[in-house]
Amino acid sequence: MDEKKKYPFHEKYFKKEWSYATGSVLLAMLALALVIVTGGSWGVTGPLGMWGGKFLELIGINADSWKAYNGSLATYNFWKDQTAITDLGIVLGAFLSVLLATQFKIKKIKSMKNVWAAVLGGLLMGIGARLALGCNIGAFFTALPAFSLNGWVFWISIFTGAAVGSQLLKKYFM
Amino acid sequence: MSDTNTSTIRRSSARVKETPEQRARKQKIQLTAGIVVAVLLILLGLYIQTQNPKGAYIWMIGLGFGYTLQRSRFCFTASMRDPILTGSTDLTKAVIIALALASIGYMALQMKLTGVDLSNLGTENLKDVSKLPGHVRAVGVHTVIGGFIFGIGAVISGGCASGTFMRMGEGFVQQWIAIIFFIAGSVIGMVLMPIVQASPILYQKNPVYLPQLLGGWVPAIIVQFGLLFALYVLADWYGKKKAGEL
Repeated sequence: MDEKKKYPFHEKYFKKEWSYATGSVLLAMLALALVIVTGGSWGVTGPLGMWGGKFLELIGINADSWKAYNGSLATYNFWKDQTAITDLGIVLGAFLSVLLATQFKIKKIKSMKNVWAAVLGGLLMGIGARLALGCNIGAFFTALPAFSLNGWVFWISIFTGAAVGSQLLKKYFM
Repeated sequence: MSDTNTSTIRRSSARVKETPEQRARKQKIQLTAGIVVAVLLILLGLYIQTQNPKGAYIWMIGLGFGYTLQRSRFCFTASMRDPILTGSTDLTKAVIIALALASIGYMALQMKLTGVDLSNLGTENLKDVSKLPGHVRAVGVHTVIGGFIFGIGAVISGGCASGTFMRMGEGFVQQWIAIIFFIAGSVIGMVLMPIVQASPILYQKNPVYLPQLLGGWVPAIIVQFGLLFALYVLADWYGKKKAGEL
């Protein structure tokens, strides 16, 4: 607590957590600022399949000839991909935030259960996002406010999935 | 998560690892690193601008997303998991507020293109609803299956799409593992997609746009904001009930 008195400026502007409502307002504003200027709306998972395809090409698998890619990998450019840029921005923006708050810490894996949770959870999210044509951002936060039914349907579906996931989490991964 | 928490735990568990001096030194290192990182991020932004005409702008918004998500502990997964797991609906309410605010913005942007009476829809200027700002996308059985699978995955791995990226920045090793399999899953999903799209039972290719479905902007606005408001009231009531305030 004595640190608070010592560095009131740092405490107030970099260390203090923001309220959820602050987050709500800023996320909505940033998402709108993005689409107004670039014409492209906020998404997250779109590029992941492309990065995976690029990796397959790198290890000698000609994924570009698959129906799923259909030659799109050859012309893919990370820095031309708006969603790829904002994805990297989320990682490094969060990194900057924890550093300035002096709260950065490598949070290690506690048990093998965490590894399995990451493996299974990651796979399910990847498959699910492709089937639903987006994730919690692309098929939800950018779809529901755009008066599109798929956003509402996605919300109900992800909520149901989260309920099942919570039970699985309690049973197997905690 | 916060420093005060960990320090109380340390004090009580009697395995004191660091002196206040060490702690102060560690904080100074992090702050210095933070300033160096900030400069590097600006330089990276200048590089991105050479690659993409709107690169620096997109980069700033992206960093803003990360900074905001981290500072406000905003988590979409938790907004759907917490009501079930802990009974807290604080994040659920925050998500509803964000949805309502974003709705106002998209409404303005879309109305400019559709016309207040939707008269521009289907004309040369606006061929179909998928061209509108925001993602007005195909809705059907694939949305339900995809969303359900995604919801399970997000809760198990401890972060949705934006949450996974945010936690990678925070230093969670679990999310660095998750992203590898998130990418692998995306490749599997992309390979599966042509098969899914070929099935009329699994995939419905038409988007459904509420103003079009409900016959105008006015009913769409009433339904959209009415539902969000009702859900907010429900979430508020549920949260209070679970916390024993009611």
